[in-house]
Amino acid sequence: MNTQTGAVERDVGTDGNGNDEELSKLVEMGQLVMAAQDALADPIVSRLAGTLNEGMALVDRITRNKALMGLLQELERPESQALLKGLSAALRETGRALSASEKAKGGLGALVRVAREPGAEEGLRILALVGEHLSANVRGDRRQGK
Amino acid sequence: MKILIVGGGTGGSIVGNNVARRLADELAEGKVEITILSASDRHMYQPGLLYVAFGQMTPDQLYRDQRSLLEPGIYFEVDPVEEFRLDENKVKTRSGATHDYDILVIATGSRIVPEQVPGLKEGAELFYTEESAVKMFKRLSEFQGGKVGVVVGVPHKCPIAPVEVVFSLHDYFKSRGIRDKVDIKYHYPVGRVHTIENVAKWAKPEFDRMGVEYETLFNVKEVDAEKRVVRSEEGTEFEYDLLIAIPPHKGMEVIERQGLGEGGWIPTDRYKLTMEGYENVYVLGDTTNLPVSKTGSAAHFEAEVIAENIASVAKIGTPVRDYDGKVYCFIEAGHDRATYAMFNYQNPPNLKPASKSMHWFKMAYNQMYWSSVRGLL
Repeated sequence: MNTQTGAVERDVGTDGNGNDEELSKLVEMGQLVMAAQDALADPIVSRLAGTLNEGMALVDRITRNKALMGLLQELERPESQALLKGLSAALRETGRALSASEKAKGGLGALVRVAREPGAEEGLRILALVGEHLSANVRGDRRQGK
Repeated sequence: MKILIVGGGTGGSIVGNNVARRLADELAEGKVEITILSASDRHMYQPGLLYVAFGQMTPDQLYRDQRSLLEPGIYFEVDPVEEFRLDENKVKTRSGATHDYDILVIATGSRIVPEQVPGLKEGAELFYTEESAVKMFKRLSEFQGGKVGVVVGVPHKCPIAPVEVVFSLHDYFKSRGIRDKVDIKYHYPVGRVHTIENVAKWAKPEFDRMGVEYETLFNVKEVDAEKRVVRSEEGTEFEYDLLIAIPPHKGMEVIERQGLGEGGWIPTDRYKLTMEGYENVYVLGDTTNLPVSKTGSAAHFEAEVIAENIASVAKIGTPVRDYDGKVYCFIEAGHDRATYAMFNYQNPPNLKPASKSMHWFKMAYNQMYWSSVRGLL
């Protein structure tokens, strides 16, 4: 009961009609707008609007591109998430490994040495699988006239 | 269906993009083709020239690559049209190529013709091209005081520009601390300070507040660049130290040369936006002879109507919308305040007091323009 009374008193304000309370809220709102106006400047407004403009154009292009939207849907699936994480880690580690290793000398012997490594075999298998499915899907789409 | 758009400015680009959005499936299936023929591979944000003239923007900020603004399904070529064969549904371009069409959109815009007033080119500063806007800024920045005159040629595009330039001059000299050494005098060709009555009613007390003198019924007859005197058809004259001119405009030469419209302005149905006598030819923007302002905003609203009608013609065989004459003009009242004028065939503008918020809205629109051109806003 006491809490309710307190709430009513706050809402009503000092003149009993809530006018002072409303007025002070309006003043507060006005101060907020003035503070925003003082904090902003033409170049800031231009940059913000420019970013918004480019962002809108980007979102527009992506959302109307059926292929890109399909890719985004695929990437949202849990198994794709694992693949994406793996890809991110692979990129990071490849970068490190490349910067630490010597420049390749070439030749068949070097190729054989690389092929003997289990990781290289796995990698080739992944690439072959991607190639196989990519080819099948593109041919399938063409047959359907897409 | 072949849709051919002549002109890659505000109006032509918005029509192309808007039609491509509305007919995306038909485009993908090859049932519709959209071609835009333009004189340039760059798209300029023309209202930005006023900012360049006052050092608030640099020219590179005004341009985008035209192709980057167009929907991927649109065929774009830099090859301006030199001949319209409207009875054969064909146009011929500068390269000698011929394009046929089912629907033609003419959005060729306008051009300045300062040479129509003797001495104007030599004696006055302009800001309607990149070069002239940069030159005007250099003149302004060297100016240390004296008499500045603003004169207005007719007809001209962007009817608000004469008023905006006065506000900008006042704020520019004030910011340099030399406003008290500069006398600004505004000259306008009709009997009040602006052709739109409510703009005149709003601007007059603002001019008084800023201490700007004005002379109405001043139609520029000639400029004596050597003596620095501008004379009017009405017999008055003004001695100046710096003269700024809104030059007279005409429609594009090809329109005039082919007799498609007097002064290069094509007779256009004010509601359907079709060229008189040709139901499959739409006209928009500065190219029309409509009694609305020659502004990007008018071109934008006209483009929306034309795009919807082209799409409905393709889908159901008939247009569905009329243009109501809508125009929305920002009015920069100096460097930190702005207001706007919105009007149509039926309703005159009702100007609100200028505010900083509206100025920022305009600043934001300078960037958002590119979304408008892409057909997004």
